[in-house]
Amino acid sequence: MTGINKWVNHLTKNHVSIFPLLVFRIIFGIMMFFSTLRFALKGWIYDLYEVPSFFFTYYGFDWISPLPSPYMYVVFSILLISCIFITFGLFYKFNTIVFFSLFTYIELIDKTNYLNHYYFISLISLLLIFLPANRNFSLDTYFGICKRKNTVSAWQINIVKLQIGIVYFFAGISKLNYHWLIEAQPLINWLKHQSDFPIIGKLLLYDFTAYIFSWVGAIFDILIFFLLISRRWRVIGYCIAFVFHIMTAVMFPIGVFPYVMIASTLIFFNDNFHKKIIDFISKYSLLKKSQFNIEEQNYTSSNSNILKVFLIGFFTVQFFLPMRFILYPGKLFWTEQGYRFSWRVMLIEKAGYSQFYIHEPKMDRKMLIQNRDYLTPQQEKMMSTQPDMILQYAHYLSDTFKDSTIIESNGEIIKMGDNPKITADITVSLFNKGSRKFIDPKQNLSESKRGFTNKEWILDYEN
Amino acid sequence: MLLGVCLVGIFTKIMSLRLFKVLFIISSVLIIQSCKKSGCTDPQALNYNVDAEKEDNSCLYEDYDKLSLLTNLADNYIIPSMDAYKSKVANLNIHVDSFIENPSISNLTLLRTNWEDALLNWQDIGFLDFGPSEYILLRKQTNTFPIDTTELNNSISIADWNLEYASSYDSKGLQALDYLLFKPGHTDNQLITYFQNNINAKNYLKALAEDLNQNINYVTDQWATYREDFINDFEVTQSNFSTNSQGSSISNIINALCLHYEFYVRRGKVGLPLGVFNGFSQLELPGLVECYYSGKSTQNLVRSVTSLRKYVNGSSYLNNDNGIGLDDYMDFVTAEQNTQQLSRVIDNQFLAIFEELNGINGPLSEEIINNKSQVSQTYQELQQLVPYIKVDMTSALGVLITYQDNDGD
Repeated sequence: MTGINKWVNHLTKNHVSIFPLLVFRIIFGIMMFFSTLRFALKGWIYDLYEVPSFFFTYYGFDWISPLPSPYMYVVFSILLISCIFITFGLFYKFNTIVFFSLFTYIELIDKTNYLNHYYFISLISLLLIFLPANRNFSLDTYFGICKRKNTVSAWQINIVKLQIGIVYFFAGISKLNYHWLIEAQPLINWLKHQSDFPIIGKLLLYDFTAYIFSWVGAIFDILIFFLLISRRWRVIGYCIAFVFHIMTAVMFPIGVFPYVMIASTLIFFNDNFHKKIIDFISKYSLLKKSQFNIEEQNYTSSNSNILKVFLIGFFTVQFFLPMRFILYPGKLFWTEQGYRFSWRVMLIEKAGYSQFYIHEPKMDRKMLIQNRDYLTPQQEKMMSTQPDMILQYAHYLSDTFKDSTIIESNGEIIKMGDNPKITADITVSLFNKGSRKFIDPKQNLSESKRGFTNKEWILDYEN
Repeated sequence: MLLGVCLVGIFTKIMSLRLFKVLFIISSVLIIQSCKKSGCTDPQALNYNVDAEKEDNSCLYEDYDKLSLLTNLADNYIIPSMDAYKSKVANLNIHVDSFIENPSISNLTLLRTNWEDALLNWQDIGFLDFGPSEYILLRKQTNTFPIDTTELNNSISIADWNLEYASSYDSKGLQALDYLLFKPGHTDNQLITYFQNNINAKNYLKALAEDLNQNINYVTDQWATYREDFINDFEVTQSNFSTNSQGSSISNIINALCLHYEFYVRRGKVGLPLGVFNGFSQLELPGLVECYYSGKSTQNLVRSVTSLRKYVNGSSYLNNDNGIGLDDYMDFVTAEQNTQQLSRVIDNQFLAIFEELNGINGPLSEEIINNKSQVSQTYQELQQLVPYIKVDMTSALGVLITYQDNDGD
């Protein structure tokens, strides 16, 4: 056996303790329960899925739409219940499938609400379906629904670590750009509003601090995975991550993401650490972990070839998705083509202002659209800076007015035809350098096709 | 008790894991540091905090800092401007009383002048619709237009009204006075006769003035205590440090300013009557102007833009002395608009608006018909200011729509 083979075996086929996976399952379940509950208690189910009359679906997923009231509440309730079942490891496989499907369904409804950490949770929950995180210290084993295991194949824990590693690593890589490193944007601007921050508030007013934060942030993201997998640096790495995430949590309104990462990265610790946690929980619960002495011999893992192919594909796609922006011309931060699903977190400061016009088929007259009539403030804000959403909104307007008859205040009757022309005046400011024209105001947006091809009507940033 | 013991037990258990020990120490330090009454302990500093026990290096000595910005806005613009409006409304009430007592030409003239003054002063505070003003919907209660004259006349004829109902908002306020004091189809003498013979109209007039008085008194009373919260950014420092997030003073100021300018100045005072929002035909709708009956629309438009500029620049309300304003804040964060200072660009845009406003002399309701190109150009310049304040300024000052999480992308 060559060295590489040995190493690969060590990382995949080796039998390792199941404890890290058990702790991960419990933490994941609890975290998802509370973050879903928080979402519901903030009234966002109503705000995001019942108030809007139009939803920005993902290309290829246009068939996804929110359920009519009150069924979105039912969806969230099932999601909450599945979190509890996952925590206790009861009907684990079924509940992870339910969780993954519902969570992903909710996120696919409207890209206005896209957040990298939702994407992360979707990916993790998909992985969890295939991991035996219920095979010990769970109600499934307690009731004898499935057999107890003390060990799992190393890959079953390592893919979770890999998934977390990818998030950090690509988040770090995406920071290696001119604006982040040389201009310290957008932190140089954001930190200046943080002068009330305890202890270091005053320091945040200096440009120098923004540079330190930017560079340290980039280095942290790139290196943290390697610190966490090294036995020697793990505790230090984790403490750095802890401080880093807590700071971002108090400085910026980024919700639960920092806490999700703080809790998830516990999986990098060794078996003993997780064993202590399980010991600790088992003192206060019905569940008893099995003893180590029932070591299974001839343990055959069920990693079929299909699963293998699926997982290799799963990670390969994740390696290429963040890189797809290279295929588009123009400045990534300006066009945002190939921006999502790439772990680009807190990288840009962008704001836009859009005015849409619908044109009369016969005469050269146009009517100003009141975006407020069709979009929520949040939707309008997100749409104004993202070309694919601009196009979707234009198509929606075109469809809304299609074949309609408009009676003007002077009694004039206007027939809109089957594909009304839509144009838009949009100005966008990137990194507070001033608002500039974003798209070609003459472009008839109702004639541009949606899709992954380059949107030529986005004006050059330098223009 | 039992619960307490349990918790302590669990706590010691958790602490037996070394990692959690380290984490506990780290978080305790963070929490203790932020809980202790900390602040600037240097009496020389601008933000010297008498209650502070612990120096947190937050002392500020430069020209700009948030506290002096908010203090300047509150003490030199907001409070004096509200007081000025309040005294105008008080005068208005006095003259309403004497007019009701003795409806004569001279009393009518005096009443009109006082109404005009009150309305002009209202333009100075219209964009301060946050805090106490927002709470009672001061703008809606004070200056909604156009007035529903049918509703208004109906109320008078059947002597039944309750100005506290939201349904009465479009038949009350300064614009209802615009209608009653400049009733169309009435000469001054006819108007006097109308009031002499109509006790309900007199009472309604009285009720309108009292309602205005009551509202502004509520707001100024509230500001006496709200001022402290406002300059110390009370709500936010309680919860987190994202200082310009929703609910913070800066966010309130900017949101109220942008909303008022975009919807009630640009759109309400000019765009709607001009027909910009009127479908394809863009037909003018002169009936929608402010002060349609008295024809005082232009001077009020000029006044509102003038006070907006004053406010953005942090000028003193009473003597125009330049203080720390939003312009200084923009400079402080080096906000730019295509290599020019954003504060300069915005101020120049105000000047461009005044330039065009100079070309409008008569009432807007007439000018949008007879002098349409001039009004259109004015509208263009008003429109141009929207992205400067709504996109550039808002984003430079870190004001976010934070009713929802975002991770900056």
